Amino acid sequence: MNNRKSIAVLLLAVLPVGFAGIWRLQHAIDGQLQSIHEEQDEVLLRSGKMMKLLSLEYAPLMADIYWTRVVQYYGSKSERREQNLDSLWPLLDLATTLDPNLMPAYRFGSTFLAEARAVGAGRPDLAIQLLERGIRENPEQWRLYQDLGNVYYFSLRDNQRASEAYLEGSKVPGAAPWMKLMAARILERGDTRQTSRLLWSEIYQSAQDPTIKENAKTHLLLLNADEDREQLNLLVEEFAKKVGHPAASVRDLIEAGMLRGQPADPDGFPYVIGKSGKAEFSPNSPLYKLEPLYRRF
Amino acid sequence: MKRVNAVAWNTFREAVRDRILYNLVFFALLMMASAIFLGQISLGIETVVLVSLGLSAVSVIGLLIAVFTGVGLVSKEIDKRTLYALLSKPVRRWEFLVGKFAGLVLTLTVNTAAMAAGLILSLLFVKHTLERGDAVVLVAVYFILLKISIVIALALLFSCFTSQLLSILFTAGLYVAGLFVTEMRNLSGSRLAPAMQTLFSWISYVLPNFENFNIMAAAAHGKAVPAALILQNTAYAVLYCGIVLASATVVFSRRNLK
Repeated sequence: MNNRKSIAVLLLAVLPVGFAGIWRLQHAIDGQLQSIHEEQDEVLLRSGKMMKLLSLEYAPLMADIYWTRVVQYYGSKSERREQNLDSLWPLLDLATTLDPNLMPAYRFGSTFLAEARAVGAGRPDLAIQLLERGIRENPEQWRLYQDLGNVYYFSLRDNQRASEAYLEGSKVPGAAPWMKLMAARILERGDTRQTSRLLWSEIYQSAQDPTIKENAKTHLLLLNADEDREQLNLLVEEFAKKVGHPAASVRDLIEAGMLRGQPADPDGFPYVIGKSGKAEFSPNSPLYKLEPLYRRF
Repeated sequence: MKRVNAVAWNTFREAVRDRILYNLVFFALLMMASAIFLGQISLGIETVVLVSLGLSAVSVIGLLIAVFTGVGLVSKEIDKRTLYALLSKPVRRWEFLVGKFAGLVLTLTVNTAAMAAGLILSLLFVKHTLERGDAVVLVAVYFILLKISIVIALALLFSCFTSQLLSILFTAGLYVAGLFVTEMRNLSGSRLAPAMQTLFSWISYVLPNFENFNIMAAAAHGKAVPAALILQNTAYAVLYCGIVLASATVVFSRRNLK
């Protein structure tokens, strides 16, 4: 076979057919690897100190690699809506031990850990541990106190500790003035929708990461929807008193002149009256599926 | 086939004469001795540490031999001018390449088998008995050998058209890239333009996926590996080596050796 012919055979036959075979095999292998996936999730070397020794002078680089692994791990798990996020803490522990100044690992990592299962790891206790370590290593970072306060407020509903965290953070030079206000507000009024909205709005505005931003946005939409449904439920009660039987649908309220049009949720899907006789999301609405996962006040 | 066998056998003999191989085997056994020591000072994970460290040693040593010996398979013959004498005999260039590849694969099979035997003996020392689940360790060693075969083929391809140093860099670079193929394919859509995502997806199928062969964690926990995976990984390695060797043959047949 002359040279030109052999190149043509390579380019037109061997490479396309070969890589088509590789493509098919890869899909088959992916399927098989799924079955031993659980084991692959494991972090074999869990000692941060040992890892730091082994990393020599490259510990910060290793921390970056571990942090990237956290993001990929969390991303792939949440995409598949998998609840098992057991390797999240060891990975974060390693990343922050290797580089104690790795702020994204503390800030986003604590959010991933604290959020309820299906959205996060459902481990606010570990989120607090991570943030306390972050504060110890980086006492000048007032945002870590804010995150700590958020975990106490949203995940543990511990208003006293949340207020203390905000107050402590407000003393750090350069801290936002609202930190002190938030501390006072939570202590005074406790767990209210207005306070939650203020906190989530602040998270939404300050977040750089799209995942955190999207998370805050969903919480804000659900808070708005809570308010809408509360109003609708008042009308449903009023309708029952007036007409003598409960409203079967939102249309009943419109026909009774109590509503001017079909009210819709923040995603534009009309609310419905559920079997319980209360206003609910339409099953077609994305918020209908998201609500059980994100349910926080 | 006879000529391929002759080249392969000579490559094997030449590699065995190389003292580095013995040193590396000694190193592997030393690593396993360390594994036993590490296992004794850890709590409850003696076997896990032993298998993980042992397999890591088998993999690292195999890869080092594959890269550093693989890149010299062709260039060394050219530098020493032994290639001219060989090609003046009735040996085709592709036969020379396939023979060289087979010879180094044989060398590494022997080498890896010795290390695997050392690992199994260490396991027996720690556990005092071997169970059926421990066979996964042998599957993991087999997968390492498949991975190493692809690395040899790549090293051989690069050594056909570039210097030894560049061949080492290209092979090592491709190996590292091949460890992140799965991540490349699953890159989150929200952070990448769709065109880039498609491009990365395509690249991920062209690059060798070395993650396919990583069952170290499963082996450490004695978790069974499906027989289908063994067959598929074997087919993958054979096909990938075939593609790379075909490309190497074309490149080498075009090379002007004057």
